[in-house]
Amino acid sequence: MAASSSSTAADSSAMVTERRGIPGAQFVEDVQTYLTQSGLDVQSALAFFQERLQQYKVVEMKLLAQQRDLQAKIPDIEKCLEVVATLRAKKGTGEELIADFEVSEGIYSRARIEETDSVCLWLGANVMLEYSVEEATGLLQKNLENAKASLEVLITDLQFLRDQVTVTQVTIARVYNWDVHQRRIRQATATTAEDS
Amino acid sequence: MPKSKRSEPLDHRKAEGIKMQQGGGSDTEVTWEDQQNINKFGRLNNRFHELEDEIKIAKETCDNLEDASNELILTDEEVVRFQIGEVFAHVQKDEVEGRIEEMKAVTSEKLENLKEEKESVLAEMAELKKILYGKFKDSINLEED
Repeated sequence: MAASSSSTAADSSAMVTERRGIPGAQFVEDVQTYLTQSGLDVQSALAFFQERLQQYKVVEMKLLAQQRDLQAKIPDIEKCLEVVATLRAKKGTGEELIADFEVSEGIYSRARIEETDSVCLWLGANVMLEYSVEEATGLLQKNLENAKASLEVLITDLQFLRDQVTVTQVTIARVYNWDVHQRRIRQATATTAEDS
Repeated sequence: MPKSKRSEPLDHRKAEGIKMQQGGGSDTEVTWEDQQNINKFGRLNNRFHELEDEIKIAKETCDNLEDASNELILTDEEVVRFQIGEVFAHVQKDEVEGRIEEMKAVTSEKLENLKEEKESVLAEMAELKKILYGKFKDSINLEED
């Protein structure tokens, strides 16, 4: 039993041990070996896994919140790009753009937007900067790409996290089952000893 | 001598559709390959739910665009207030018709792709179910509750 324990660690090398601060869940090849190796009794092992599961849940909440934020931000940037594109299209036609905009909830006012070479972009933190239409398009495009890239990374993080959660849950079930199995065996041997 | 625990279906799990049940102390070992299959099933299941939500939204968008273009046909105004960004720009009816058609095309293509992806996800999940139930039989539950 002791001899096989060293090879178990090598077998799990197909797994990533952690990703961007999220600890990987070690796959248990054999429950008996794991318990002997770690020196834990069943209760402690189960408690450890449960705690890990809680930690994973916390991280999952955080990542989901970030994902929601990004998913809201992306359509916003796309809308801005659309407006800038419309303004750019109007340039050179000599026409004004007439638009109804919301002054307050349910109250709209009409605006006449003349041909323009520049737009102002809200950068956050009470800062608004004037850009040429081309620069604005470039900046918004870059922001959009960054947001999409961050979302990709986030989604991969979440997938990794969910995998670790699944592995941990399966391990908990296996350790628990193994324990019940052991108790049954002990019970059976005890009764046969009594009968004989 | 502690009493042996009664058989109880294990409810620690909750991986959205995956449940490892107590197989009466049976000893089917879970290999790394099995674990990877289980992980993959979990991921596909999540993607399936995401797709269902996305399909619902895309369908709604399609319906709204359909309603909008119907309204356009009925109206006799020449200038339509068309939403661009946060404002409603005054746009010629013809241009609006063109834009709506374009949006309809984009959305229905997106809807088609989503539906296709959903079919393929379901097919993969069915495959994995066969494999996992084949090995674990009653010790695993892959159904939605």
